[in-house]
Amino acid sequence: MKTRHISYWILLAAAFLLLAGPELAADEESKTVIGPRNALLADGANALKAGDGVEGVRLTLRGLEMAQGELERKMGHSNLCAGYILIDKPLTALPHCNWVLERDPDHWRTYNNRALVYLRLERFEESEADIARGQALSPSSRNLKIAKGMLLDETDPVRSNVEVDERRSAMEDGSDDPSNN
Amino acid sequence: MGVTILRTTSLGTLLAAALVVPAFGQSGVDRVDSNTERVPLHTVIPEYPEVPRRDRVEGSVQVCFNISRSGYPRRIAVRHSTSRLFEKTAKKAVRQSTWKPLSDGEQESGIKACRTFRFSLVPVSRDEPD
Repeated sequence: MKTRHISYWILLAAAFLLLAGPELAADEESKTVIGPRNALLADGANALKAGDGVEGVRLTLRGLEMAQGELERKMGHSNLCAGYILIDKPLTALPHCNWVLERDPDHWRTYNNRALVYLRLERFEESEADIARGQALSPSSRNLKIAKGMLLDETDPVRSNVEVDERRSAMEDGSDDPSNN
Repeated sequence: MGVTILRTTSLGTLLAAALVVPAFGQSGVDRVDSNTERVPLHTVIPEYPEVPRRDRVEGSVQVCFNISRSGYPRRIAVRHSTSRLFEKTAKKAVRQSTWKPLSDGEQESGIKACRTFRFSLVPVSRDEPD
């Protein structure tokens, strides 16, 4: 169970990263820019996507130092939040998620990331609230569904059971179910 | 993962099956019977799929099929299902299962066999191992 959770964390954190490169290609004034403007942020995002949390955080921190405009800073903090989750530093990740949400309360990806932070800190009610906020903004998000499943595994764990029944009408009305007699 | 296998062995059910079969034959529909008197050799239990487990979805699937002389399932099809999420794994489990081959003197019945797979989730305490 522990192993599965660890792999979940890696999958989730990597999946949640904002793609700094393409998004930065079009800046806030809608100028046409060839390639990412802040290469360090873009490289940091790519490193995080590849699962290299340490390098991703290092590059993103450097990219954030030279970030221009709210959008770049938002990308940087959002990716730092994801990156610190990836390297298992949820307390360090939390203020970066908060930074983004204070400025952009509709950023569902960051709700997702912060839900993971809270989950890691065993603050389950706050995690659930962030998942609900995220799902209200992005109802079909697969990442949020995975986060919800992880939360349920912590708060309401279940064991899966499969029963094989070769009786004829077992599914139709249960009339031949011995437990009904 | 917990596993339960239920098989019909009672005389009453055998009789009921025998009474039902002609009705299917008369209506021109494929005859379906859970008890083909074929002996399961290797029963594969399907995995509980990850997505419904994650989303806490339970359900059941009934898969019907013919069994060849050599004991392999043929013409596998879902007959009833409460959720499509379980159908693929249920069909795969049947496809990988085998039955005892017929001996030279035995005749194929031509009757379809069916298996119902029930997927359920049982609450456990947080300390209990998975």
